[in-house]
Amino acid sequence: MSRELLMPRLSKVAMLIVLFGLLPALLAWLDKGYLYQVVTVTLIFALLAGSLHLITGVAGLLHLGHAAFYGIGAYIAALLGSDYGIGFTIGLPLAGLGAALIAFIVALPTMRLVSIYFAVATLGIGQMVHLVLQNWVEVTKGPNGVLLFSGIDLFGFTIDDAIGTYFVVAAIVSLSIWVIHRLSHSYYGNALRSLREDDQCADAIGINTTRLKMEVFTIASFFAGIAGALWAYTTQYVSPADFDFAESILILAMVVVGGLGSLPGAIIGAVLLILLPEVLRGVGDIRNIIVGGVMFASILFLPKGLFGEVSALNFVRRQLDSAWRDAPQKRKVGWK
Amino acid sequence: MLEIRDVSRHFGGLKAVDAVSTSVNQGELVGLIGPNGAGKTTLFNLISGFTPVTSGEIRYKGQTISGLKPFAIASLGLSRTFQNLRVFPNMTVFDNVSVGAVGAIGQSAFQAVFAGSKRANRISERTWEALERVNLADQANDLAANLAYGKRKYLEIGRALAMQPDLLILDEPAAGLNDSETADLSRFIEELHGEGLTIMLVEHDMTLVMRICQRVVVLASGQKIADAEPAIVRRDPQVLEAYLGVDE
Amino acid sequence: MLDPYYLQQFAIGLSLGMVYALMAIGFTLIFGVLNVVNFAHGEIYTIGAFAGLMAIAAFGPPLLVILFIVLAVGAFAGFGLERLAFRPFRRFSDEASLKSRAMREATLMSSLAMSIIAREAMELVFGSEFQTIDIAYLINKPIALGPITIVNGDVIIFVVAALMMAGLQYLLKYSTIGLSIRAVSNNPLGARYVGIDTDRTIVLTFVIGSMMGALAGILVGLYYGAIFPSMGFSPGIKAFVAMVMGGLTSIPGAVICSMILGISESIATTFVSSVWSDMVAYGFLLITLVFFPQGLFGRGRERV
Repeated sequence: MSRELLMPRLSKVAMLIVLFGLLPALLAWLDKGYLYQVVTVTLIFALLAGSLHLITGVAGLLHLGHAAFYGIGAYIAALLGSDYGIGFTIGLPLAGLGAALIAFIVALPTMRLVSIYFAVATLGIGQMVHLVLQNWVEVTKGPNGVLLFSGIDLFGFTIDDAIGTYFVVAAIVSLSIWVIHRLSHSYYGNALRSLREDDQCADAIGINTTRLKMEVFTIASFFAGIAGALWAYTTQYVSPADFDFAESILILAMVVVGGLGSLPGAIIGAVLLILLPEVLRGVGDIRNIIVGGVMFASILFLPKGLFGEVSALNFVRRQLDSAWRDAPQKRKVGWK
Repeated sequence: MLEIRDVSRHFGGLKAVDAVSTSVNQGELVGLIGPNGAGKTTLFNLISGFTPVTSGEIRYKGQTISGLKPFAIASLGLSRTFQNLRVFPNMTVFDNVSVGAVGAIGQSAFQAVFAGSKRANRISERTWEALERVNLADQANDLAANLAYGKRKYLEIGRALAMQPDLLILDEPAAGLNDSETADLSRFIEELHGEGLTIMLVEHDMTLVMRICQRVVVLASGQKIADAEPAIVRRDPQVLEAYLGVDE
Repeated sequence: MLDPYYLQQFAIGLSLGMVYALMAIGFTLIFGVLNVVNFAHGEIYTIGAFAGLMAIAAFGPPLLVILFIVLAVGAFAGFGLERLAFRPFRRFSDEASLKSRAMREATLMSSLAMSIIAREAMELVFGSEFQTIDIAYLINKPIALGPITIVNGDVIIFVVAALMMAGLQYLLKYSTIGLSIRAVSNNPLGARYVGIDTDRTIVLTFVIGSMMGALAGILVGLYYGAIFPSMGFSPGIKAFVAMVMGGLTSIPGAVICSMILGISESIATTFVSSVWSDMVAYGFLLITLVFFPQGLFGRGRERV
């Protein structure tokens, strides 16, 4: 196998080995329930950060209400399970679709708003959803939250052990991130980036900017809904407090710290902002201060984030073999 | 190919464009000139759909385009550049031009994720063609923001060419260029025209316009005051008066 | 003619609106000059309230002294906020950068980050429950006005708000400082060219706006008898809504819309449970953004 093909193949295989081989083996060996929880939460937030990266990092729409769709997905999954006995197999996709549908409806009137006003509109929407989750007690059970009595019930097989749950979550998150990766690292992704750079100009080049914005918002919210469902099925308890403004900001901070426009960066940001407070366990109460401080520091000192877009795109094109190879000078440019 | 019929654009009491009628036929190289404030850029914005017309009609290839959104007009084969050079600064040269290609060829979200390489390859090839046409192929991986001013002009043109338009509108392409750069650019535009592209351009640089345009339309205070070959226009007393103090 | 119950609700709505107006005035002033959303304005409000609280606990001075202390703290906090969260992003002084979308988003996020840090820090220090306030300071002594009852706090807040507005209008129209503020808010680069120290003007605007915000905080705290670290979030959002409704650049517009907001909230809570009251503000926000982007009173902002 030529050297050019070998490295990217190795990188991809390596990632799969770590995620589905090494890490679970390590977790099983250490056998601490709490560690499983941390890893699962990290995976869920990696998906949340990855999906927000599409909206805010790639398409440049500052979104202050992503947690709302996370919450909608979580509640759909939880309520379907507790009220109607509908389990994981159907609940998961329905959660994603439900979140996507609400995102679509919300986006219809607001997509034409200019950046800062769109941001504030998403803030308002996020708050409205949170209010509904908290106060529409007949449906959402209010501040007490919803208890889910069954865990993951995949096509009839009940998976309630920690390692099985891990594999299911890892599989779904990997698949979702793969889809996001394909969207971001493609010519479709370039079209999205043009929205961020200069959307009036993109219009003049034949890009249907309004439709594209709606698409990316809906797709990303779908994945937020999936993440929410995963949260519901793994923690088996949802409450409105998990889906408030602070949560939206946490996810935004992950994307900003990692580097706007960089998918690997968003994932790194998620890992960092979940693990950091865990590592500083003793001072767990100041997690939000850390989030604020990290976000501030990175905007100020590392405006491109930890793994900025340019480096990330180059990395993906070369290391992950996403580049078009028949370029005249055999350099890796463009997308496959 | 492009018909402008009695088009006006009013901003309150101000008539930025006042009952202008002209046309651009297939294969022509038409220049649009006029003193500052004559309404040239407004007319461009009307044609490309950035500003709505107050009255009148604009037709392109027989279809009414006044009232259509910019992206719809662009997908009909009309592409434009901008006076103040709007490239996508945080994207590479290649990626910039590829947006033009993907605008024309199209790639949906579903295709981006699941489809094979065929469509992407088409987009890639189209992008390379355009890049080579504007001589930016060896800077394909450079960030657009780092490009020199003159090169950025060609980048914008390359991006517009990637759409494979039938009509290319250039908004003050020579702005900010020195004499030799302007000469290169005018040669380049002539080449494009020679390849069959219909071109309309707005320019302040008289030498360029008079030299390469087949026909010149002159606007002053929103109205058309001349529409003929360069040789005739440069002697037109109304034109000379509008440009009071400016030699041909 | 009118059922005294509804009249009372209306009066409550008016006083609620006045509370929002107090916040909205400072908020709009800052936005008008810098064209940035100051996410930390709500925290300045909270800082003002806590500063007053600490002053009361420390040496129990008369109300007027408290207010002056709060004004000073607010000024200081505003100064600090500007230096920390806004000034570092004005590195580039050309017009395109000053009003660029990237800068607005960066400062939105940096002020957001600051607000999180400030709020969490206060929670750490003071705890998140409501603080007790010496009953002597509370400004909720009732005053009967025919069929309805108001409290002395309503009068105080009304007077303060009116003074603020009048003072601000006077400042803006007739003083040199006001002139520089108006110049900078209109055209920062042009103002710089004619010799105005834009940096100093911006700082001054922040200081004035924050003083008003802090004053609002202590007054509301004493009015409701509730001071707690997250008290600034909700009024902050309402102030923003009022500002957007009022057309972004108009302080009187923001005040009028604050009143509309307050009255609407109050009337809404007579028909539905009060937990939904925030919905009114968010509803107004979305409706305004979508249908009346230029607001009710101001001239619209151009596309960025």
